[in-house]
Amino acid sequence: MKASRARLFKEYKEVQREKAADPDIQLVCDDSNIFKWTALIKGPSETPYEGGVFQLAFAVPEQYPLQPPQVRFLTKIFHPNVHFKTGEICLDILKNAWSPAWTLQSVCRAIIALMAHPEPDSPLNCDSGNLLRSGDIRGYQSMARMYTRLAAMPKKG
Amino acid sequence: MPKRILCKFFAHGACLKGDHCEFSHDWKDPPNNICTYYQKGICSYGNRCRYEHVKASQSDLSASSSSTVPHQSVISDSVPLGFSTTTFGGSVVLPAASAEFPGSRRALFPHTKQAWNLESGHQGLLDNGIVMEPRSSNPVERPICSFAAAGNCPRGEKCPHFHGDLCPSCGKHCLHPFRLEEREEHIKMCEKKQKHLEALKHSQEIECSVCLDRVLSKTTAAERKFGLLSECDHPFCISCIRNWRSSSPSSGMDVNTALRACPICRKLSYFVIPSVIWYCTPEEKQEIVDSYKAKLRSIDCKHFNFGNGNCPFGTSCFYKHTVKPVSYAWKYHRPPPRRSNVMDMDAIFDFFKHLIAEDEMNIFDAEDFENDDLTSTEMAMSLMQLDFESSDSSSDEENCLY
Repeated sequence: MKASRARLFKEYKEVQREKAADPDIQLVCDDSNIFKWTALIKGPSETPYEGGVFQLAFAVPEQYPLQPPQVRFLTKIFHPNVHFKTGEICLDILKNAWSPAWTLQSVCRAIIALMAHPEPDSPLNCDSGNLLRSGDIRGYQSMARMYTRLAAMPKKG
Repeated sequence: MPKRILCKFFAHGACLKGDHCEFSHDWKDPPNNICTYYQKGICSYGNRCRYEHVKASQSDLSASSSSTVPHQSVISDSVPLGFSTTTFGGSVVLPAASAEFPGSRRALFPHTKQAWNLESGHQGLLDNGIVMEPRSSNPVERPICSFAAAGNCPRGEKCPHFHGDLCPSCGKHCLHPFRLEEREEHIKMCEKKQKHLEALKHSQEIECSVCLDRVLSKTTAAERKFGLLSECDHPFCISCIRNWRSSSPSSGMDVNTALRACPICRKLSYFVIPSVIWYCTPEEKQEIVDSYKAKLRSIDCKHFNFGNGNCPFGTSCFYKHTVKPVSYAWKYHRPPPRRSNVMDMDAIFDFFKHLIAEDEMNIFDAEDFENDDLTSTEMAMSLMQLDFESSDSSSDEENCLY
């Protein structure tokens, strides 16, 4: 408990210090609870998520960093490894490949990498996974772009 | 006769005996001012003593009566008045008795060096505080000035001792110009110390990747230690890396690929080495690892238990496996079966079954079943964890060397 708090505080300071270093990630800690964080990440370029801003919710366990944080998308996203309804993310480093050397910042970076390189063989979103596995890249891209426009972009006009 | 000596109580204005006093209350009489301690050779005041330091042989002649009579009269003090005449008669015989006294007194302190014999030792001390030492002809035997060796000699040029040569590492004049062996040894020691200090300085900056703190800036001394992984060079606190390695694997987490691997590079390391300093070169790391293993090799393995237990590490165990006579391994030339002590526990539980209340029994049963469910590999794994925890913690205190 004490160790996780100290570590999160370190990460908080690090985030404050390097705010400008990574413009794609904006990590914010809950005002009253250091175990609750939210992040805004920009969809990587040359992907159907380009131009969108996605919100992530972090729930950090007390055993952190020995246990991974629980991360889910708050913004709707059409991606084979993200549950369409709950926003749950299927990413090995958030499950069995977690290492205490990861930080919340690096988890965000890993999620951005996952958006650019979906893994259709372990899908949480079967529709999206099936599109990719059947080779319908265009179908997947247009669906993903549509949802990005609908959910992750500020409404115009 | 006793009236000849001035009463010292009277001299201070405090004699309670008044006219009955055996000593003179006449200021014209000389006081007894001879230091009896000096005569015994044990006056600790020396020159500062306010009593006269007269040698016993002199006082025999000049002040024998004065020094011995008070002694006698003290006795007569305590004797009831009726006997006073006889004691007075005794005092007539005194000169003869006092003549014997100095001799007998000397016999009492045969081994104490007499003060006047010591005086010759002080004669070497000159008024300006310079000590003149008898010079030895052989320069090797002469010691170097300890003040200069410690950093600063107040006497400077005037110092009668050698000032050692300047040691390049520690910057002190502590190298004996003629004792070559001592010189080399000191230089070697100094260089080693210097290296250690530099490594320590360098280690201050190292951060643990788990807690993101500087390892050597932790609050408790036990935490201010690195945990070196055998296969890679990523720095961690000993507590952080041990916590991670011993944390219960969550679902789907493999012990070998996740927990036993380096959190940064995921290289599998089978053991963690505690160290107070961080290394710069592979040789330094090897040195730390070797001395750690050497330390463990001198400690008896708890699992092996002198031949009565079963060590899961077998021959590759870091700890000492000593087979004691009449132990299991000594008798049968093989380790005892693994579950032997669990069986013993069962027997004990059976024995006490009727004494333990039903609900308490259930708790014990549950624990036992948990153990039974473990496969042999799981058992070995948990033992391995146990060993890492217990072995490391036991060796921690002794590993403060680094």
